[in-house]
Amino acid sequence: VTEHAVQLIVEDDLRRSRLTVFFRLLLAIPHLIWAFLWSIAVFFAAIANWIVTLIAGRPAGSLHRFLSSYVRYLAHLSAYLWLVANPYPGFVGEEGEYPIEIRLPPPQEQSRWKTLLRIVLALPAIVLAAALGSPGSIASGGSGGRNQSYSYNASGLGSAVAVLGWFASVVRGRMPKGLRDAGAYSVGYNAQTLAYVLLLTDRYPDADPTAMLGGVERPPLHPVHLLGDAHDLRRSRVTVFFRLLLALPHLVWLALWSVAAIVVAILNWFVTLFTGTPTRPFHGFLSRYVRYALHVAAFLYLAANPFPGFTGEAGIYPLDLEIPERGRQNRWRTGFRVVLAVPAVIVNSALGSSLLIAAIFTWFVALVRGSAPWGLRNLSAYALRYSAQLYAYVFLLTDAYPHASPLEGASPEQMAFDETG
Amino acid sequence: VSSRLAGRSALLAALAAVWAVAAYFLWQSKVPSSLRLPHLDPHRYFTTAQLSATASFSRVNSLIFWGTTVAQIGALAAYARWGVRWARESAAGPLGTGMLLGMLGFALVWAVELPFGVLDLWWQRRHHLSSVGYVGYLFGDWFALGGKFVFLCFAVAIVMGFARKLGERWWIAAAPVFVGLTLLFAFIAPYLTPMHRLHNASLRAAATRFEAKEHVGSVPIDVTTVHDITSLPNAEAMGVGPSRRVVLWDTLVDGRFSRPELQVVIAHELGHLARNHIWKAVGWYALFAFPGAFLIARVTRRRGGMGRPEAVPLSLLVIVVLGLLALPLENAISRHREAEADWMALQTTHDPAAATALFRRFVPTTLGDPSPSTVDYLLLENHPTIMQRIAMARAWQARGN
Repeated sequence: VTEHAVQLIVEDDLRRSRLTVFFRLLLAIPHLIWAFLWSIAVFFAAIANWIVTLIAGRPAGSLHRFLSSYVRYLAHLSAYLWLVANPYPGFVGEEGEYPIEIRLPPPQEQSRWKTLLRIVLALPAIVLAAALGSPGSIASGGSGGRNQSYSYNASGLGSAVAVLGWFASVVRGRMPKGLRDAGAYSVGYNAQTLAYVLLLTDRYPDADPTAMLGGVERPPLHPVHLLGDAHDLRRSRVTVFFRLLLALPHLVWLALWSVAAIVVAILNWFVTLFTGTPTRPFHGFLSRYVRYALHVAAFLYLAANPFPGFTGEAGIYPLDLEIPERGRQNRWRTGFRVVLAVPAVIVNSALGSSLLIAAIFTWFVALVRGSAPWGLRNLSAYALRYSAQLYAYVFLLTDAYPHASPLEGASPEQMAFDETG
Repeated sequence: VSSRLAGRSALLAALAAVWAVAAYFLWQSKVPSSLRLPHLDPHRYFTTAQLSATASFSRVNSLIFWGTTVAQIGALAAYARWGVRWARESAAGPLGTGMLLGMLGFALVWAVELPFGVLDLWWQRRHHLSSVGYVGYLFGDWFALGGKFVFLCFAVAIVMGFARKLGERWWIAAAPVFVGLTLLFAFIAPYLTPMHRLHNASLRAAATRFEAKEHVGSVPIDVTTVHDITSLPNAEAMGVGPSRRVVLWDTLVDGRFSRPELQVVIAHELGHLARNHIWKAVGWYALFAFPGAFLIARVTRRRGGMGRPEAVPLSLLVIVVLGLLALPLENAISRHREAEADWMALQTTHDPAAATALFRRFVPTTLGDPSPSTVDYLLLENHPTIMQRIAMARAWQARGN
């Protein structure tokens, strides 16, 4: 696999200025106005570039430079807004000046067919980019006056990262690495999509988070992590076509199992709170439940091919889950587990919409090609892994908090090897 | 060997005798055995245009039935031959793999039946009998299919579970379970259908009189809304024990039928309840379930028996073929019950004129053929024909009632 033409470079050190984080949205106002004005100019420049590329087979140098600066600028601005980077960005999209950088290719020959149909071809990527980078929405409820209430729905990964990262950065002066990586991935995918739409490259955006964050240090291995053959991309067209219906018995069974799992989880919570360690039967039961939920979701969302078993048994499914043995857990973290899980629930919900969109696109691709796209498969695996880590955390299978980084964690040996390399 | 053979033959004969005795009791009816229906000329009751329209409508319906049946059996035969290859798409162990193969077989049947379903819908819409849209049909059917998938998985789990425990004798344990499930569905079906009480006071009063006459106790008379999907008039007796009720489709009480005609309908449905027809239907199901399950067990032996997922595709074919073979008998039993309910309605209302008017009105409103061909009669008619029903009203009158 060749490297993508549009590269994300992450040189951020995770440190954040509390003051600029606190006022981040206000500080960004000049940039937002400037971005709006620039977008108007870009609209016309993009049309001109489309006509030039269609005729000449490659973009004009000046237009390419102008549009490249715009793509870089928006990436800087998104990174600033979503707290993926700390410094105040420049206004002209300078190259190599910002910790979250987008490296764009020079003008190149492009297929005229792809150019002609660019907007249509880009639609799936635009939808996915919107899911990753949606600014979220504010909903109002109540009857007005004192009863009026407002709620913020962080539907996109970027906005979830921004909201959660804001609290973490204000308190700690540092952005959590998981959230930073997730935000950087969103910035990168949005930049690739924009570059594709604006004809800066004819390489389709790559949804693969591991490729996007190739140069970023991997987080430590989370005790709950995925196992199995990631390269098994074959999909049976028949079972793909009827996937939702085929998953129905599993969804019914999962719903029934969930009722029992909630009861057991409550009992497990009391036991762990008093003894400091979950009981073996509860731990075993909930481990199977969490693993089974992963199998079902992997099947339903086309992250794996075979019809899963009904027992959540380990080692029988291509996308499996490593769950640690029961161990002592911090009683404070146990006592407030549900409250502590709220930020992870927000991230999980944001990833859920990306997972759904990835599944829909995978459905079409797999029906035609009989295999899942590598990038979408890895995005799905990321969302499923996070979801499994959240379940494991809530059900007290581990007290390790879910790690939001799209990168699979590495063991200390692997990390040492990576550093040597 | 001969003593073993004799023992088996004796057992088989004993089982056949039990079956025959049970069938005899289930077949008992209030319709006098001496009743002879007069032969009636349809042209005396219906115009030539009406008869021509119903004949044309039934002809296409019959073609759709045969097309669907041939496609279904063809698809399942192919699936029985090659469907096993999809077992490799499962990581679910034998039971789960059996479920997957069962669902895929159903999905295949659904796919090949779809064009005939659309054709049928087009035909119904053309005759203003259905107002379901094509998009609604295509996508609404997916939800129905989902329900079937879940039930199918349950059924496969029961059969394979028993087969893995009991080997070839699984059918002895599985058949009663399916009979129990049928009874359960008969009990809960009324609670799954949205309906409301009948508002018409005079009909309710008539129903109360009929309940006393037919000794069925108090039975709710409900109405269910179907006019947004069909214009066909219908009614049914549902439930067992405390869930018993008579359900009228709102297309029956939309003003097209007179009060005496509706009273005949209510008396007919109460007749079903009075004669315990739902219990009897479950009884008949039990009589077919045991030999049916036994035959499935025998046929699937060459695939290793029902304990193995490889047998599931073949079992689907066997079920459908057995269902088709049993269809004439099943329809005959159903017609027998319906004839008894008609007789009960005549005995209760003492109004053969209203019954005749009701049956005559079914022709323009349902486009049912008053006297279908023998093949259609055997395979498609689960009620007596319109002419038979009118003839029964005449015969009832002729007996001096």
